[in-house]
Amino acid sequence: MVPTIDGKLHHFTNAGLYDGLFTLYDAETHTLWNHITGEAEYGPLVGRTLGPPGNLLQMNAKQALEQDAKTEIAISDRVYFAGGKQFGTVGGIGGGRAGGGQGRANQGPAGPNPDAVMSDRFRTTLGTEDQRRPRMELGLGVWSATVRRYYPVARIRERGDAFIDRLDGRALLIYIDPESNTPAALYVNSAGARMQDKDVMLDSGSVVRSGVLLDRGGKRQGMERPQQIFTRWYGFALTFPGSEVFGQ
Amino acid sequence: MLSRYCFGTVFAAAALAQSPVMPQLPKGPAKPGFDIARFAPTAVGTFETFYVNQTDPLKKALDEGKIAADTRVLVIETAAGRLVLITDQMTYHHIAQGRARNKDWMATF
Repeated sequence: MVPTIDGKLHHFTNAGLYDGLFTLYDAETHTLWNHITGEAEYGPLVGRTLGPPGNLLQMNAKQALEQDAKTEIAISDRVYFAGGKQFGTVGGIGGGRAGGGQGRANQGPAGPNPDAVMSDRFRTTLGTEDQRRPRMELGLGVWSATVRRYYPVARIRERGDAFIDRLDGRALLIYIDPESNTPAALYVNSAGARMQDKDVMLDSGSVVRSGVLLDRGGKRQGMERPQQIFTRWYGFALTFPGSEVFGQ
Repeated sequence: MLSRYCFGTVFAAAALAQSPVMPQLPKGPAKPGFDIARFAPTAVGTFETFYVNQTDPLKKALDEGKIAADTRVLVIETAAGRLVLITDQMTYHHIAQGRARNKDWMATF
């Protein structure tokens, strides 16, 4: 997202919960903003958007480096664990919070908890829920200017962890990355896909390996992804009411 | 030695210091369909936004053991290129803001 409004930088914090999702709040105008769409929801800047949202992709550090050797990292003072060691000086990382009810599929050490139960504090902020899927189900939400679609992880698993769907007339690879266990969407030129070990094999001869798209000769290809978010069903459904659900 | 009065003052001050300060909300307007009655505020300071002032090459961080190959990360695209944030840290911060090549960016998680 872009935190600049009319040329002026705004400073954002997490101000609370709405629809079970954390809400952005800017110190300059006290407006509340949706953290997924970037839309102003309450306050003087209603009608404005912190767009375009941009993707926040989930992977592991090795994959990030393989995808782009020039990738930079920013590390805060908060405690984190890497390679069996503890880093950081300031506590406050709630390991127990991971997956504890937020719409975004927040991560614990082993990834999001598929069996998480929503706490009352979150539940009381929910609007009318879409009952088509279980509230806390994990999945990949994808959206464009005309389409909002949710791919439950269970449905992706049923399709062998990788398959081709279509979005806005383009072939879209939906897959679960075997290293990070995270679902993802990637535009491709292929009619079919299947998982083989840790590679996504495309009918076109291309392959997705460690998150990198390679042609049949092993040469890196440009990668284009639609807007996407790994999230729980309630978070996507309340943000995008009436969205499509893949397979139903 | 502190008098009883002084202790009372200290305790009162401590209590005040611990009183949560809630975000100051305007009186609307609301986007159609948004119900402010369902908003549950969180005390100011509960979460701190990560203001990014320094970045380092990811490879260097890996080589120095500050991060492991299997560490879960979040990747965003800034005007200066790809930037990694550590997922464990972002579950606390929820928001990171920075500036790259004269363009401000923000990541939310």
